[in-house]
Amino acid sequence: MRDAMTTTSVESVNSLSTRLRSAKVAAVAGLGVLLAGCAQNAAQDTFAPEGENAERIDGLTRLVFSIAGVVGVITFSLIGWTVWRYRDRGQPIPEQSEGRKSLEIGLTILPALILVGVAVPTVQTLSALNKTSDTECVVNVTGQQWWWEFDYPVQPGCLPGGITEPIVTSGQMVIPADTNVLIRGTSRDVIHSFWIPKLNGKRDMVPGRVHTLRMQANQPGIYAGQCAEFCGLSHANMRMEVVALSDAGFQTWVDNQLEAYTPPEEGTLAAEGEQTFIANCSRCHQVNGILDTNGTPIVSRPDTQVYPGAAPNLTNLMTRNTFAGAMWDLIDDQRREEVWEASPEEFDELYLAGVEDEWLNAVRLRAWLRNSPAEKAMYADPTQLEPTDGRYRGMPYLALSEDQIDQLIAYLLERK
Amino acid sequence: MAIIERPADTTTTVAPVEEAAPVTATSSYGYLRRPVESTGWRSWAFTVDHKKIGIMYGVVAMFFFIVGGLEAGLIRLQLAGPEGTVLSADKYNQMFTMHATTMVFLFVMPMAAAFANYFIPLQIGARDVAFPRMNALSFWVFLFGGIFLNTSWFLGGAADGGWFMYAPNSDVPFSPTNGVDFWALGLQITGIASLVGAINLITTVLNMRAPGMSLMKMPIFTWMAFVTQMLLLFAIPVITVALFLLMFQRSYDATFFSVEAGADPLLWQHLFWIFGHPEVYIIVLPSFGIVSEVLPVFSKKPLFGYTFVVFSGAAIGFVGWGVWAHHMFASGLGPVSVAVFSVAPLAIDVIFGGAVLGLFAGMYYWWPKVFGKTLSESWGKWNFWLMIIGMNLTFGPMHIIGLQGQPRRMYQWTENRAGEGFFNLGMWNLVATIGTFVLIVGVALFFINAIWIHRRQPVAPLDPWDARTLEWLTTNPPKPHNFDRTPTVHALDEVFHRKYEDVGEGDSHEYVQRSTLDELVLEEEAQADAHIHLPAPSYWPIVLAFGLPIMAYGVIYTTWLIVLGAAIVVAALFGWALEPADAEDADFDPPAAGGESTSKELANV
Repeated sequence: MRDAMTTTSVESVNSLSTRLRSAKVAAVAGLGVLLAGCAQNAAQDTFAPEGENAERIDGLTRLVFSIAGVVGVITFSLIGWTVWRYRDRGQPIPEQSEGRKSLEIGLTILPALILVGVAVPTVQTLSALNKTSDTECVVNVTGQQWWWEFDYPVQPGCLPGGITEPIVTSGQMVIPADTNVLIRGTSRDVIHSFWIPKLNGKRDMVPGRVHTLRMQANQPGIYAGQCAEFCGLSHANMRMEVVALSDAGFQTWVDNQLEAYTPPEEGTLAAEGEQTFIANCSRCHQVNGILDTNGTPIVSRPDTQVYPGAAPNLTNLMTRNTFAGAMWDLIDDQRREEVWEASPEEFDELYLAGVEDEWLNAVRLRAWLRNSPAEKAMYADPTQLEPTDGRYRGMPYLALSEDQIDQLIAYLLERK
Repeated sequence: MAIIERPADTTTTVAPVEEAAPVTATSSYGYLRRPVESTGWRSWAFTVDHKKIGIMYGVVAMFFFIVGGLEAGLIRLQLAGPEGTVLSADKYNQMFTMHATTMVFLFVMPMAAAFANYFIPLQIGARDVAFPRMNALSFWVFLFGGIFLNTSWFLGGAADGGWFMYAPNSDVPFSPTNGVDFWALGLQITGIASLVGAINLITTVLNMRAPGMSLMKMPIFTWMAFVTQMLLLFAIPVITVALFLLMFQRSYDATFFSVEAGADPLLWQHLFWIFGHPEVYIIVLPSFGIVSEVLPVFSKKPLFGYTFVVFSGAAIGFVGWGVWAHHMFASGLGPVSVAVFSVAPLAIDVIFGGAVLGLFAGMYYWWPKVFGKTLSESWGKWNFWLMIIGMNLTFGPMHIIGLQGQPRRMYQWTENRAGEGFFNLGMWNLVATIGTFVLIVGVALFFINAIWIHRRQPVAPLDPWDARTLEWLTTNPPKPHNFDRTPTVHALDEVFHRKYEDVGEGDSHEYVQRSTLDELVLEEEAQADAHIHLPAPSYWPIVLAFGLPIMAYGVIYTTWLIVLGAAIVVAALFGWALEPADAEDADFDPPAAGGESTSKELANV
């Protein structure tokens, strides 16, 4: 009785472990299939590099995955074969050997050699990715809950035209295509991570530190990214894009960003919008060149209202395609598709057209102006600001009327 | 427990060892008598028996496994489709923080502690651990710490900074509820449990092995558990320091992680991962040990390269300290600082596949040892297959999702960036969610098997698997004193060599069964040691442990609670130090007349 039971149990456990192994073999095979293909149209697909830095990473990844795949298949095949070959068929108890030295040493040296083999291209890739001496343009990137700010310091060497005055923008980082750009990144509050999968790996942006990251896109186009270090409530909504333009297109963009402020024509809805903007928005949001009724330039002081100290600069809002930390598109779905699917040749023109009334994503923008805390998870409850000394993290509810929203949108549509 | 006296004139063939007068309990000192109950809740609350403590560890760990599993279910429901609304961003952040914290600190670690507690003394031929009261203390501290941590759900919200709790996102302005305070204090408390347990088990392994059991004759599970305890001994202080700094940062306005005061937030990451990387081995090594224990039994061969495996395990104990920075690839630490892609789903896969499946292997293997009955095999197969399928359906797609650019810890994903091909995020997020529920059903089958089906199972044979190691050289379940006679060990796989003899000549081997385990156990009973001294239960470990969460509530809410908690701790320490060495003689029933029953029975007081 006891013996019978023992045998059954032993058999069943052996067959269990056989099946366990075959399941793992299947899993490895599945991983192989995964590596063989890549998705269509996934905006952040890591297997579809579009810049030389990401190409290096991609090459290394495929190499390492292939080696690991081969090792995996061999290992699991051997395990499977062993389990099958030596399954319990009632044979006598085998020799109680405790190992074989040559095999044990061999199985230690072999993986060590493979790892050394993998280490060489890994170190090569890492040092290439960390090179900063051959970059032609610099963009300062600053993360803040939950959006990215990009500022372009004055630099004569960035393309022939240079950048003659600082540019501050957010949500979308515009760079010249086929040019090595150096990102100098930091954060105003918690740690964020800058990640444009098609252009390069991740880089944490840490308050109090400046980290660098290379950016290069082979061709004009728009490249999606996402904050990759958990940064609090709206981490999921903290998106960004890199927009690469041709050299001529980039120069056009720079010139446009630096154009002087043009106030709305008197008597228009936009002119009312300017006053609404000054009354409700300009404490935090800078519009360069905007004047108060005395003719004095208005300098916004977001540090008095917002805990980490800044709010997006809206001088040229409608030259961007997104708003609210790139959480939403400023352009409607049809226009979005045109821009995102554009060929490199037609991309410049589509992007530089910015946002026009006819393709404005008015529904989302109005909802945002109406009640932003309801649209995006933020710390904007005025009764719970004690930990931040009365300052918000994110945009508060402003109690704007529908008329005021009409005015603001008319005004903002001219910010380009 | 009790002092078990046996008449010297048993049928023993060995002359009883001449002993000094047995230590008898007196009431001449000590404030409180030691508890003696052998039944009822008191027999559990005050026990110092490593087996009972092991079982309690296991039960509580499984409870937290359910909690963590439900949290996982909610997380996956939220992510099943785009723009999920099952949870708010806030609740989602709490959910994934507590899911990971629960699974790592309140399930895998205590479950490994359950196995280590129960089986290390049995595998090394000891009657208990080196410090039985400290053993009870570590369990109660863990339990109260785990409960404390989870009360945050009802007191304003749980921690929401991720299980890694990176500074400065963990600071008050960014996480204004008390959740992170509960987290920092709760993990300090459970850290005490781990540290006390590690000291105890290390001492046990080094000092209490049966005669003849050299370190290189120790069963492999004991070895791996031993390495784990060494890792804990050095890793827990590091996280404790980090948590202590965080506590002061939040509760007493310190500036350890305040950038504006000149701090570098990467300090936290270094401290966390110097703990966190060894922690990975702390999580998987016990399971490796279990698997390495189970495979040889069913292969009927010693573990291939036992020496090598032992040294590899020990090497992990050293090398594991040198590689923490790879968790900070993207943190900007200089040249070696580029993250290729998200490795976290892989890490969770390793934890689940490496640790959880190994622990379940241990459950099925040792169940008859602990409870005297085997678990149902047919239910077990369903349990196994659903868990294997569920695990691969859950974590396999996460590799795809990560490589398709969906980072971790996003409370929502958007259709806009999901793609449309075979690897689109939508389909694989849904598959991962389905996988999670397959996994949950699989685990549920284990509970049904263990709680209900188990009752109908017949009593298991003493040696259901033809086992090889010392824990099987006693009854199922083992007696309170584990072994009637302290075994003398001659070989690795001692029990195998007692059962079988190699009668082959020269290079040929032929193994003949000389005796069954039943016969061996009977033989041990017949030659029982004349005098067995077991540690008596104690009131104080549970009392001392109870003071700690009270102190922790005090840190969060009001200072006088700290004083109250500290008073309880100090009082318990004095009680601990001053209680009598043993239960009083009068507390026990006298030995039965006639020598039929030869042990002092515990009175049912």
